[in-house]
Amino acid sequence: MTSETSQAGNTGFAIVDELKARFGEANLVVQPTLTGMPVVWVAREQLIEVMHFVQQVRKPFVMLYDLHGVDERLRMHRSGLPPADFTVFYQLMSLERNSELMIKVALHEDDLRVPTLCNVYLNANWYEREVFDMFGIEFTGHPHLTRMLMPPTWHGHPLRKDYPARATEFDPYTLTMEGQDREQEALRFNPEEWGMKRQSGDTDYMFLNLGPNHPSVHGVFRIALQLDGEEVVDCVPDIGYHHRGAEKMAERQSWHSYIPYTDRIDYTGGVMNNLPYILATEKLAGITVTPRAETIRVMMSEMFRINSHLLFLGTFLQDLGAMSPVFYTFSDRQRAYYVIEAITGFRMHPAWFRIGGVAHDLPRGWDRLVREFLDWMPPRLDEYERAMMDNSIVRERTVNIATHTTAEALTWGVTGPNLRATGLKYDLRKAKPYSGYENFDFDIPVGTNGDVFDRGMLRIEEMRQSLRIIEQCLKNMPEGDYKADHPLTTPPPRDKMLQHIETLITHFLQVSWGPVLKPNESFQMIEATKGLNSYYLTSDGNTMSYRTRIRTPSFAHLQHIPAVINGGFVPDLIAHLGSIDFVMADVDR
Amino acid sequence: MSYKLTRIDPDAPQDSQYPVGERRVVDDPMDDQVHRNVFMGKLENIMHNVVNWGRKNSLWPYNFGLSCCYVEMTTAFTAPHDVARFGSEVLRASPRQADVMVVSGTCFVKMAPIIQQLYDQMLEPKWVISMGSCANSGGMYDIYSVVQGVDKFLPVDVYIPGCPPRPEAFLQGLQLLQDSIQQERRPLTWVVGDQGVYKAEMPSQRDKKRDERIAVTELRSPDEV
Repeated sequence: MTSETSQAGNTGFAIVDELKARFGEANLVVQPTLTGMPVVWVAREQLIEVMHFVQQVRKPFVMLYDLHGVDERLRMHRSGLPPADFTVFYQLMSLERNSELMIKVALHEDDLRVPTLCNVYLNANWYEREVFDMFGIEFTGHPHLTRMLMPPTWHGHPLRKDYPARATEFDPYTLTMEGQDREQEALRFNPEEWGMKRQSGDTDYMFLNLGPNHPSVHGVFRIALQLDGEEVVDCVPDIGYHHRGAEKMAERQSWHSYIPYTDRIDYTGGVMNNLPYILATEKLAGITVTPRAETIRVMMSEMFRINSHLLFLGTFLQDLGAMSPVFYTFSDRQRAYYVIEAITGFRMHPAWFRIGGVAHDLPRGWDRLVREFLDWMPPRLDEYERAMMDNSIVRERTVNIATHTTAEALTWGVTGPNLRATGLKYDLRKAKPYSGYENFDFDIPVGTNGDVFDRGMLRIEEMRQSLRIIEQCLKNMPEGDYKADHPLTTPPPRDKMLQHIETLITHFLQVSWGPVLKPNESFQMIEATKGLNSYYLTSDGNTMSYRTRIRTPSFAHLQHIPAVINGGFVPDLIAHLGSIDFVMADVDR
Repeated sequence: MSYKLTRIDPDAPQDSQYPVGERRVVDDPMDDQVHRNVFMGKLENIMHNVVNWGRKNSLWPYNFGLSCCYVEMTTAFTAPHDVARFGSEVLRASPRQADVMVVSGTCFVKMAPIIQQLYDQMLEPKWVISMGSCANSGGMYDIYSVVQGVDKFLPVDVYIPGCPPRPEAFLQGLQLLQDSIQQERRPLTWVVGDQGVYKAEMPSQRDKKRDERIAVTELRSPDEV
């Protein structure tokens, strides 16, 4: 793997020259990877300056897309890279360049400190708290560096390599009566900690704790509100009640057996979650899949996008007080599941994509089922638009409520339908097509106001576009194999195994241990149901990933809440929560 | 039939572990000598049956969800599966009004004390359904942040396997809970008689259906829809 091949055909590498010109070639280390973006190591002392530079350069990197860490202490293959025990990486996005940039900072074990980025990119706040929680890296100057995902009473930093992964490696869980009181007390919201006043003038603020279990927070999300009457003066979202350690899990599952865990990240997205992971592993393995496999993947992903948006529509309107929509949309979801189940064999989490293809070819008669679904949906969507979105109460509750501009959205890392609702025509399926999306004809619906109503309306339109894509899949499904002919395809095709003893041994090893992928780093981003979802994989030449970073859209969307809702009313908050379409597994992983 | 007796001790010490109270397997309390006399025994039996029939057919579920399983649980509540057929459509958002808590999803270490608090806020009679592999045993998440089964601190009445279980499986779990409630022996009054709660030891579905399941030899081919 040379740096030339990774740069081929990508104009996104121009920033490297700009950085070299500004900071001197000697101060930067450019790491060749399979990520498709420039990866540049800078010194900790220069970090803030570099960040200011890329934020203000011509065609700027407007969004801090991701920020996390790596424990490098056990990594074998890192020749040519600056010595590091821990790494903090910053991933930035530029829409004008249509490219990303990754900045890395090397840290020594005895001095785990980095200057905070909160003053450059606002949304660094939560990411830095998470890195502190997971790795114990201190961000100097951070306004509120406390644990993010783990309980405040937790000991240790789970993503460090010397931290045990399994619950069964610890003592079995017990809860005593006093232990429960202690844990609950530790979670008590203390306004002073967040710089909030208890009163101002002759107003006594009320502090309301919403969640972690409340019908309108869609799972286990907690938000503490500072109220002046009905008005939300300030609020503090609190997450981590749904942390399933998915990133740590990747470090102990084989490349193949991790696929089911990806299904459960955005659990309404089903097999669409497999897609970025599978595409990133295929980059590491060097597999090119067949057109048929690509088209099947697109079709199933779009089925799940419709399924997820239908769930959104029902629950969103239910949050606004409409009881019946959820019954209608769930009937449609049932029809989508007839198709999904017939093809993949399961409903919510089929784990159906495979490294190098999909698990099974399409069954006979699949086209009839898909056709029935395509005929069923459009009139229903028209009906929803008329019956639900034209409803005057819905309009009163949603139009011009919780609005934000495109610039604000980019500052906070908001992506997907919530970004497009502000009027920006950015869809990754068009901007950077993957898995053959360039072959499909569809539009990008956009909103105008960036309010709750637009976010709801946009998703109805997106379902229509997804139906168009599925229709094209149905009409133009390529013939051929559903799996790539490549030695690292997992599980390998059976007919390749039954040649002689050598092929049998290879097959056996690959099925029992799993494929071994060459040391490198790869990355794949997709336009998931809720926004940009990506997997950043680091292979150390093993059967397992060395580090898997899952960037999920909902994390950014929740961090954005206070900026939108402060100054609004409590019912607006509920409408906003319904409209941003998050699931907690997509936040806490 | 044997029963599991639960006796709550209101003065339990602070360091006692959840689930608090004494639990042991006993014989049917109705088999006692006193109960076997023709008049009182029959009357008490009828009373238990009538009360249990009412309870089991108006189970109000608590609107409580943790993760993926909650979506399938909600699916069971909507039109295609229609949980109203079993008298459980009255979803309550407050634990104080609910009868049954369905732990649908992964039980996280950070969430466990909160789940316990919500359970404590429910009024007796109350039941717990553990829905999905995570709630049953931790499932595929043997990981630092997940409690390996909600029964580590809650008394569970019915376990529904699956990841996530289909809505039909949830409905079956609900019916199994109803069957078990029909057999219960709870105090008919708080002034007279034994105050213990006797829950029937129901037969395991795995044992019951094993023969039928292993008899299946022809599985449907995945090549056909």
